[in-house]
Amino acid sequence: MLAIRLGGLGLSALGALVFGLFVGGSPVAPGDVAWVLLHPHATSDVATIVWTLRLPRVAIAAVVGAALAVAGFLLQGMLRNPLVDPFLTGVSAGAGAAIAIAVVLGVATALVPAIGFVAGLGTALLVAALARRGSGIDVERLILAGVSLSALFASVVALVLVRLSPGGAEEILSWLAGSLAGRGWNEVLWTSPYLIAGMGLALASVPSLNVLRLGPNVARGVGLDLARAQWMLLVAATLLTAAAVSLAGIVGFVGLIVPHLARRLFGTDARFALPASALIGVALVAVADAASRSIVPPQEIPLGVLLAFVGVPSFLYLYLRPRGTSRLWGT
Amino acid sequence: MGHVALRGVRIEVAGRPLLDAFDLDVLPGEFVAIVGANGVGKTTLLRAVAGFHPAAAGHVSLDGVELGTLPPHRRAQLVAALGADAEAPSGMTVREVAISGRFARHPWWDWTRGDDDVEAVVAALGRVDLAEKADRAFDTLSSGERQRAWIALALAQGARALLLDEPTSHLDARYALDVLDLLHGIAREGTTVVAVLHDLNEAAAFADRIAVLGEGRLLAYGAPALVLEPEILRRAYGVEFTRVEIEGQTRVFARSAKENGRLEGGRRNRDSGRI
Repeated sequence: MLAIRLGGLGLSALGALVFGLFVGGSPVAPGDVAWVLLHPHATSDVATIVWTLRLPRVAIAAVVGAALAVAGFLLQGMLRNPLVDPFLTGVSAGAGAAIAIAVVLGVATALVPAIGFVAGLGTALLVAALARRGSGIDVERLILAGVSLSALFASVVALVLVRLSPGGAEEILSWLAGSLAGRGWNEVLWTSPYLIAGMGLALASVPSLNVLRLGPNVARGVGLDLARAQWMLLVAATLLTAAAVSLAGIVGFVGLIVPHLARRLFGTDARFALPASALIGVALVAVADAASRSIVPPQEIPLGVLLAFVGVPSFLYLYLRPRGTSRLWGT
Repeated sequence: MGHVALRGVRIEVAGRPLLDAFDLDVLPGEFVAIVGANGVGKTTLLRAVAGFHPAAAGHVSLDGVELGTLPPHRRAQLVAALGADAEAPSGMTVREVAISGRFARHPWWDWTRGDDDVEAVVAALGRVDLAEKADRAFDTLSSGERQRAWIALALAQGARALLLDEPTSHLDARYALDVLDLLHGIAREGTTVVAVLHDLNEAAAFADRIAVLGEGRLLAYGAPALVLEPEILRRAYGVEFTRVEIEGQTRVFARSAKENGRLEGGRRNRDSGRI
């Protein structure tokens, strides 16, 4: 039953990706898009738009959505705290600060995502080092260290923004608000090893996540190597988040809320809820990105802003509505 | 199979020795109760056997296999441990909780569940009498049922020894008897059971042997009738005990200082013939 539902969700995600190919800033008839997709070797303006602009963008939307949703799912499961999001480990704040400084120093735009990635990883490493206890990780210290370092790096960004000329501020702000504009196959290519490694670790962590639902003590009792599981989850979440941030800047909401939706629809069993998180993340970011491109063309609404504007009210409605008024989510 | 042996075990907490030169043998299929005052190290001892709290010295083994150096996965195939502080997981059915016990039967990254897992879980839930509630949400169970569900998880693990920390602490008289009866039966079926118990009379009624901890060591170890001596218990708990035999069973009762005074007074009065 859950497997069938998961299949349905997969089809919806695929539908969202296809939808993303058909909408965008430049007016292209859906028939032309379909024709270009069916004739990959044709050369035309439409082919250029579809193959070099829309397709990589939709691919990045899929990757970013899946990465953030899975990272959020991993951290929420590891810390057994539904309020945790993938940026808890300081990845986004560290990346944001490094990007702000890189922009101030006039570093080439092409290098900015890589700088964000490395700084994000570095910050998470620092947070993990501060949270270490024995061979494992102290959950409370992890949260405290993550929140503190994030606050510190947010102030660095604020300081840079205050001191900066308007042009540079715009570039930094586009990172902070999350956007897929101007990203292409290159970015997908160089982040893919980290994404694949992160997803591989995430998939291998599914049985560990399942026994962690019982709390760390019972999990150890049934044979979980708690320290190894914690490090694997943290490394996986960090790789995925850092890759997503370097691709799309800080896209909030996905990593916090999507895991909730997945658990609502598929229960807490990670064998279903983790793939479901990934697929919901794909669908959500693909649709949101399509919307961000097509609401006020040729301008784009920042992805993070759009997701927050549309997503947060719907999420609040879903959770705060009086119980029993809707069976939409199978609860 | 299921011989738990402790040899010269020293247990420390934060560098402070709790138990030293500790020897204990629990034979296969035996139900052993560990008793003693609060803070004497019962739970820590159990955690040491379970491999959660490495012994500072000495050896802890099961059927000759040293447990202290075993990786968690391998250890869980031999020993199942249930702590006293397990919280009720939300969003899990009883069956899902029980199937978690199968974790160590697969490589840690393996998602699959085989027929043997399903069989083990069905058998475990049947054994604890929860087969009909397998699809209930765990957090809708009563305390007694929860405790039995935890035991089902431990049984599904298929270990040779089952360690439990205060399995009856939140249970009323009926559920406590239920759980102890179940543990007694499990031991009879061949799984060694070691449980920390607070109620000495529960221990006397159900355990084959009782280990009394006190003064930083094993004060006494043996059949309930031999071990539950007022003098031993006074040394373990620092209060006086009265021992009675009811229908061939040993029962002990702690007496408060006030009670002691009253008894002393009563005796005096009786002695003087005024009672």
